[in-house]
Amino acid sequence: MDTIVCLKQVVDPELPQWDFAIDPATKRQVRMGKPLVISTYDENALELALQLKEKTGGKVTALTLGPQGEVKDAVRLALAMGADEAVVIDDPQSPQRLAADKASVLAAAIKRIGRFDLVLTGCESADWVERAMAPFLAEALGAACVTFISRAESRDGALSVRRTSEEGFQTVDVRLPAVLSVTSDEAIRPRLPKVKDIMAAMRKPVANWTRADLGAEDAGGAKGVEVKDVSIPERTTKVEFLEGEPAEQAEALVARLRALKIL
Amino acid sequence: MPGILIVASALEGSMGRSSVELTGAARNLAGPLSLPMSAALVGQGRGIGQAVETLQQYGVQTVYRCEHPALTPGQSDAVLAALDLVVTKAQPELVLISADTVGREVAPRLAYRLRAALATEVMSLAVDGRAVMARRQVYGGRAIATLEVTARPAVISVKPRAFDVPQPQPVRGTVEEISLTIDPEALPTRVREAQSERAEVGLDDAQVVVGGGRGVGGPEGFKLLEELAAALGGAVGSSRPPADEGWVPITWQIGQTGKSIRPNLYVAVGISGAAQHVAGVSGSRTIVAINKDPEAPIFSLAHYGIVGDFRQVVPALVAKIKAAKGA
Amino acid sequence: MSITLLRGAIVLLMLTVAAGVSARKLWRVYRLIRLGDGPVPLQPIGRRLSHLVIEVIGHTKVFRRFSSGLLHLFIFWGFLVLLSTIIQVFGEAFVPGWTLPVIGREPWFVLLQDVFIVLVLIGVAMALYLRLVVRPWRLVTQDQFGAYLILGFITGIMTSLLLSRATGIALGHAGWAGGAIVSRAVAGWFEGISTPVIRGVFEAAWWVHIGIVLYFLTWIPEGKHLHLITLGPNVYFQKARPRGALAAVDIETAERLGASRAEDFTWKDNLDVFACMECGRCTEVCPASNTGKELDPRRLHTDLRKQLTAVGAQLLAEVPPDEIKRPALVGEVFSEAFLWQCLSCGACVEECPAGNDHIDKIVGMRRHLVMEEARLPENMEQALRSMEARGHPFRGAAVTRTAWTAGVQVKRLDQGATAEWLLWVGCAAALNERNHPSMRALVSLLHAAGMDFGILGDAEVCTGDPARRIGNEYLFQTMAKQNIATLGRFGVRRIVTICPHCYNTFKNEYPQFGGQYEVWHHTQLLARLLEEGRLRPNGSLRTAVTFHDPCYLGRHNGEYDAPRRVLGAIPGISTVEMAQCRDKAFCCGAGGGLYWFEDRTGERVSHARTRHVAATGAQIVATACPFCTLMLEDAAAATNATARPVDIAELLAQSMGPGA
Repeated sequence: MDTIVCLKQVVDPELPQWDFAIDPATKRQVRMGKPLVISTYDENALELALQLKEKTGGKVTALTLGPQGEVKDAVRLALAMGADEAVVIDDPQSPQRLAADKASVLAAAIKRIGRFDLVLTGCESADWVERAMAPFLAEALGAACVTFISRAESRDGALSVRRTSEEGFQTVDVRLPAVLSVTSDEAIRPRLPKVKDIMAAMRKPVANWTRADLGAEDAGGAKGVEVKDVSIPERTTKVEFLEGEPAEQAEALVARLRALKIL
Repeated sequence: MPGILIVASALEGSMGRSSVELTGAARNLAGPLSLPMSAALVGQGRGIGQAVETLQQYGVQTVYRCEHPALTPGQSDAVLAALDLVVTKAQPELVLISADTVGREVAPRLAYRLRAALATEVMSLAVDGRAVMARRQVYGGRAIATLEVTARPAVISVKPRAFDVPQPQPVRGTVEEISLTIDPEALPTRVREAQSERAEVGLDDAQVVVGGGRGVGGPEGFKLLEELAAALGGAVGSSRPPADEGWVPITWQIGQTGKSIRPNLYVAVGISGAAQHVAGVSGSRTIVAINKDPEAPIFSLAHYGIVGDFRQVVPALVAKIKAAKGA
Repeated sequence: MSITLLRGAIVLLMLTVAAGVSARKLWRVYRLIRLGDGPVPLQPIGRRLSHLVIEVIGHTKVFRRFSSGLLHLFIFWGFLVLLSTIIQVFGEAFVPGWTLPVIGREPWFVLLQDVFIVLVLIGVAMALYLRLVVRPWRLVTQDQFGAYLILGFITGIMTSLLLSRATGIALGHAGWAGGAIVSRAVAGWFEGISTPVIRGVFEAAWWVHIGIVLYFLTWIPEGKHLHLITLGPNVYFQKARPRGALAAVDIETAERLGASRAEDFTWKDNLDVFACMECGRCTEVCPASNTGKELDPRRLHTDLRKQLTAVGAQLLAEVPPDEIKRPALVGEVFSEAFLWQCLSCGACVEECPAGNDHIDKIVGMRRHLVMEEARLPENMEQALRSMEARGHPFRGAAVTRTAWTAGVQVKRLDQGATAEWLLWVGCAAALNERNHPSMRALVSLLHAAGMDFGILGDAEVCTGDPARRIGNEYLFQTMAKQNIATLGRFGVRRIVTICPHCYNTFKNEYPQFGGQYEVWHHTQLLARLLEEGRLRPNGSLRTAVTFHDPCYLGRHNGEYDAPRRVLGAIPGISTVEMAQCRDKAFCCGAGGGLYWFEDRTGERVSHARTRHVAATGAQIVATACPFCTLMLEDAAAATNATARPVDIAELLAQSMGPGA
């Protein structure tokens, strides 16, 4: 099974709160000097791809879109974990683009890579959380689509996947080719590369393409959607103590949680 | 007739709350933009008739009724096939979909097919001139983004529970039957099995986490916490001392030397609030602290504080939550 | 043929056989040792020789247990002195009444021989008392049969020697007997006994003596007795101080990373296992063993010896690699838990009379687990991943690296300032709010003393130390090289750091990669500034303080005094030492990467340490390491202990009065 895994690099989501800032010009998180990591679920997607490869054979290609200088570490890690080759699409503006815009570029790249049975993405990116990339790619590639899956096994030339739903899990049979988005699960906890794999990764092929190579014009944002404002909500540090007997305290808390739409 | 089309789901045989929430979301826009509200009702089974009535109760003028045995839970491809027909007929300016299991797959795919603008996981909606202003969380809840949606058509997916169920606003609407020819065998995906029982929620992914500290006193105390977590649909974690003492598995440990979590709700029970632990939970959106010591540092981090004995507070809370959910 | 000739021929035959058997066995041991590779550090000869003399002849390590030390000293020196009598006995086989030339008949020398016969017997008696009556854990869990056998041999050799000397005197053919007061006294017992009987006793004693000596000779190259031969070279080739440095691996060329088979260790590691006399002192002082964990530093050596002997035999017989029968060294012989329980505190190394290094071997096997198999406890893995991604091991840290500088003036080299000294903060101090007061105190002291210093701010990343102790040598080297480049870019030459782990890494490990700096621990610098009068504490603290020695400042770098000098300079402080202090200090529980993962078996190491603190009655436990501070703080809270940890810098700053 030949799989293409889309990896995105984001600013470390675990950065301390007071290191988190929005650049008023780009309306995105300040990236300069901050550690970059592969977006959480993308590593799960890669792990799932590698596990499928171990069972059924085939090739795993890591595909990433981003400012070329920044994404090197992500690509190296993917190759060290076991991806066979990597494609980097250089786009300095990519952190400012929305999913629709990036999907057209990634789809063009996937077509250029050629043969594939499966495209995997993370179920959401740690920064913009649109959850739209896999469905977009499925449409652009004319492939089947299932999102938020955590397990997959090959079955008579098709896949049987486990999708997380509101009520629990659904087992879904999917025809290939398919685009799947992957959530986390203990079974697909990203592996730690062995040192010899890290060394071997240095010799694996990395193709460097640009947006222009792929014929994607600079649309400057997704069609008809513009980010007007990104603001950091003021944190009310003052605690509200709920008074009374335990039953009254519980009642008051439940009311607050309902107001916050948590319940 | 161009207007706002909501996607109402009766895939389980009856229509759920989130579809009604969509009527509330749509109403925010329908008035200022002077647009009529219609619904694509997708599903199967006996509850469909009731669903039509409910939609009309909440102000939906036109219901496009798509009924087919293939429109079952999780069958996104079938839903998409139905919506293809509806949007061709209705030519909506705006489509609102609940960002649930099916909606989060269908919304971007429909947007792609309509060459429409897309905003997903929206928490609130407003109108500015002709533009729809959609607010949503970004960066793991650390920031709120406001998107200006100017293009038409546009597809907007709405986070379940983000909108309240609105006041009823009955209208005498029309119902259009959409005749569907779906061959389930031809669909590229097929739901073979659904497990409604939720497997144990992992600490990393849980949207609600109940954390216990030294104050929980022992493994028995954690039983109470597990009940609370079950009632909230979440997972149980701990600070360092209970993991050290062996009251809980070490995999439960949250903090600098354990896991780092950022759930929607974190309930800290019997946790003093040592920096070591706080480091792992400070990304939580809402923090509730239950502790018998009103001076415990955890209260400086918490949004809501309950001073008291957790052995009394937690069972009371479990009872109230169950009552609230039942209501 | 004369009797003498016959006697000589028989003895010669016996000697040849015994020496041959012994040499064969030794040759085998030598080949087993040489299955390992690694350098042979002959230089510097002078320093190594003097170390050898002090430790072996002077018994400094053995004397860390007084009674054991004394009895062993008797036996060991007795062995040296009485070699002369053994030679003489063999000489007598050919020339009746033969003695060593020059000194053999000197009364003082003969007296010395007699005295040591008695001392050795006293030593044996003490040993028996220790084993049979005192019965310390480390001895009752030993190979008891071997121990009693060796004591039996020694007793036999001594009594037969004494008897042969005494009967020799009684028979009147010992012209040298002037100084032999003991032998003469024993000879007195034979008065009135007929000469043939005495002669018979003499012959019997003489043959028994020679027999045991020769039999013993064939026994030496087996088991723990081998230390008679291996210990000298082992001490000579011992890793030179400071022992804080772990050996570097050439990642690019190494065929296998780390050790997973008996033959993967260095020849010196192999010599270690043959030098181990199973005394168990290492296990007796090990914080992990002492808190009920599986780790047993003695078993590390005895089991490695068994493996090396069994596997080595097959290797030397050139059994094809896939036909060699062996249990998995990592996982079966030593469980993973065993390996992850080591704090690398060095207590075992400090204690070992054979000069063995336990840490190298454990880290060697960890290297295999981490680099070859990528298998390690999850929290350690998270720490390593965080080091890679964020440059620090504290995943989920709620503060930035420079958060502690809020409200204090510090030059930022990363923002263009220049300074004579680099104040290296280290992740443990920077990223844990608990340690921020220590940092601010240190900065106020350095300002008060007029020091010109700055920090690297956001350009600082972890030294790589946790990665190295956990076994990820690759990550360590990557970070070390990156840091050396950074320090070079900022022209750093002198470093002061609050963290003993950073201190050790800069001082002892970065030179392996070309990073040479003048490195000071903050307690060393503060002691110096106090002595130079640049800091003048005046406020009295009036409190009882006990000092907890950080392993990487104390045992690994030999600095025990500087922190105590600083404490001594603070008016009003009374210091009280723990029983386990200085080179006998007990780890806080964070060493060896165990800050991120500590096996929960048994008692927490930090809790045990808190008990030691409590036993002193001190109100404060002074610390000199941010990791120790974190561990002891948590442990004190967990055990409701009254004495909380405070860094020495903070104590000193408090005594400087306001404005300092």
